[in-house]
Amino acid sequence: MATTVLPRPKAYDDTFFKPISIWLTTTDHKLIGIMYMVTGVLSFVVGGLFALVIRLQLSQPNLKIVDAETYNQIVSAHGVTMIFFFVTIFLTGIANYMVPIMVGARDMAFPRVNLLGFWLIPVSIILYYSGFFTGGALDAGWTGYAPLTEKLYQGKSLGVDFWALSIIVWAISGIMASTNFLTTVVALRAPGMRFSRLPLFVWAQISTSILLLVVGAPLAAAMILLEFDRQLGTQFFTTAGRPVLYQHLFWFFGHPEVYIMILPGFGMISEIIPVFARKPLFGYMSMVAALFGIVFLSMTVWAHHMFTVGMNTYVEGFFMLMTMLIAVPTGIKFFNWIATAWWGSVEFTVPMKFAFGFLATFLIGGLTGIYLASVPVDTQLHQSYYVVAHLHYVLFGGSVFTIMAGIYYWFPKITGRLLDRTLGEWNFWTLFIGFNGTFLIMHTLGLEGMPRRIATYANPAWAATNLIITLSSFLIAFSVLLLLINIVRSWRSGEIAGNDPWQGNTLEWATTSPPPPYNFERVPPVRSFMPLRDLRESGELVEAEPGLYPA
Amino acid sequence: MGGLSPIFPNPVSPNGQGIYNTYLLISIPAIVIFLGVEIALLWVVLRYRRSTQPVGYVPPQVHGNTTLEVVWTVIPLIIVLAIAAVSFVELQRDFQPIGNQQMTVVVSGYQFGWRYNYDNGVVVNQAGTLAGDVVPFVVPTHTLIKLQFRGTDVIHSWWVPAVSGKTDAVPGYDNFSWLKIDQVGKWRGECAELCGAGHSTMQIIVQSMDQPDFNNWVDQQKAAAAKASPTPSP
Repeated sequence: MATTVLPRPKAYDDTFFKPISIWLTTTDHKLIGIMYMVTGVLSFVVGGLFALVIRLQLSQPNLKIVDAETYNQIVSAHGVTMIFFFVTIFLTGIANYMVPIMVGARDMAFPRVNLLGFWLIPVSIILYYSGFFTGGALDAGWTGYAPLTEKLYQGKSLGVDFWALSIIVWAISGIMASTNFLTTVVALRAPGMRFSRLPLFVWAQISTSILLLVVGAPLAAAMILLEFDRQLGTQFFTTAGRPVLYQHLFWFFGHPEVYIMILPGFGMISEIIPVFARKPLFGYMSMVAALFGIVFLSMTVWAHHMFTVGMNTYVEGFFMLMTMLIAVPTGIKFFNWIATAWWGSVEFTVPMKFAFGFLATFLIGGLTGIYLASVPVDTQLHQSYYVVAHLHYVLFGGSVFTIMAGIYYWFPKITGRLLDRTLGEWNFWTLFIGFNGTFLIMHTLGLEGMPRRIATYANPAWAATNLIITLSSFLIAFSVLLLLINIVRSWRSGEIAGNDPWQGNTLEWATTSPPPPYNFERVPPVRSFMPLRDLRESGELVEAEPGLYPA
Repeated sequence: MGGLSPIFPNPVSPNGQGIYNTYLLISIPAIVIFLGVEIALLWVVLRYRRSTQPVGYVPPQVHGNTTLEVVWTVIPLIIVLAIAAVSFVELQRDFQPIGNQQMTVVVSGYQFGWRYNYDNGVVVNQAGTLAGDVVPFVVPTHTLIKLQFRGTDVIHSWWVPAVSGKTDAVPGYDNFSWLKIDQVGKWRGECAELCGAGHSTMQIIVQSMDQPDFNNWVDQQKAAAAKASPTPSP
């Protein structure tokens, strides 16, 4: 029987201590992936600081920690930073690192496009924040609804222009990355890695890439038309034009963007649960089908953000129905995840804790989504704190919890060292309690009539609830601090991970931690969607003896 | 309880009541699914964690089960179709533009306040402020009133939770809603669409009065308007 000799585990990590010139010019998908992820984490911190200012301002009625104009800029910057510069960027990074390894490729299909795509992101970020130096950044929310963003209502500030340019650059970068992912998966799979054997994380990245490829261009188009209005005097979205057209274009991107931010997380959860439950993923084919069901449906639901603008009730009914149908594929995924862990031998390591934290919280975001999809109920809940609560259950309880699971799961592969478990447990519990303390009672504020994006409020009945929310939000901040400490400490002196600390299923665990620039000396044979597990169980896996190969 | 209510304020207009009832109906399957899934998760955490399994336990290597997967595809499908149907019935009943109104008020949103033009010529300007109560938008009880929304600069959204859902006031076209309040009282709301630095000041008060009181109020308003801007002499 042929055996697969694994490379000798590395004793130390040498990936990061490279000269800056290598970081600036590298086309290695792993280094680019790390740069994406570091950019994402930094944006998370910045966006979190904005959130803390928002929470301080709202902690009591009639507070004026910042004035209303500054508040509007901070609310917008929080949204833009978290959505465009944190979640999407971090997920692109982790996919950049993992997808080529998981399919057994040596690098992405277009390494130099990858390089360019990444370096457009700092350009995009710098463009956006430049707005703050022109008399005021974007102050109309991350959605930037016209005609509030039109020149007539913006004074002399150029914040909106810088935001629009930043988003155009961001969209171009996203389209590059999506093309690259799709080509990599289609063209560079290892022998035996059929489509029916792709890991679920790779499938999730395929569906994400298709979405971004389709909706990135309309987003750029909306921004370009807005710029024409502002700088060339056209009348696309002005009061003389069609302000609601902007909303259609924006949400045709904006709603699929929600899935761009959650599908890779679904993929990670589908990798993590089988590994720690020691069971294969339940219903591989239906999981893949559900992903594509979501991709299709997510492009037919955008107007559910616009149920109060006044549309024909049959059109509203159509968008309501399509939105509610998304619950079906999402439900399939949920039940399959639970069935995967059922009868398992489940080890609640930190990544598994975050995976279950994700299931427990994302469920609430999914259920409130049903209320919001119902047109009559939505006219009450729309633009209220109920929506703020819902979107954070989806994006924080959803995306951020999956990202945390992914960080704890793959950090040992990326750095060669394990994140500290005790700090990780603290990280999980403080985040879980802080998150629910912050966002659960936000639903009730919305039901009682507190609109989102108000700089302050006079109603004394909302004071106590808002204070609890603010205190809980600082627990989240503390938790993020624990994560950062854990990352820095473990990166320098954490426990050495070895090649495969979790007994993983997929190919990334068959190479060293961190992997060499070429990923594999020889790609192991692939016989199912769990190639490494197959080798382990058939006894074909042989750990290299120490000293056999040069380090 | 202030700040922690699990549902909207008690509705005072039939369309608000319709929304309220739809919310309650959706809550039945939502609560059942919530409890079912969370209990299943808790069961996995308690029952299938490695420390509670016998030493050397090897889990059954199940790859799927078509019957089960069909079941948990079809049952959620039926539930969401039912919710969509209930919602659509309510949508058709209370969200159509009406034509049988007894009174029409044009509501214009501006930066930062609301202007109400009654069809009897009265104009109420509800200038936005957080310093105290804004000027109330007064309506007679037992009267079906059509609200016609206009944005005069940017997009605003008129929202009084106790009355009904919100309606956007968009520049360029008119948007519609209605209310019919059968009790005397005052209800608060505010603008729900970010419209600039004064967004949070755009408070709304709806006050309902019985018909005689309302007639008196109309006379007062007309007298005050006549005093404020006397007709120019020919």
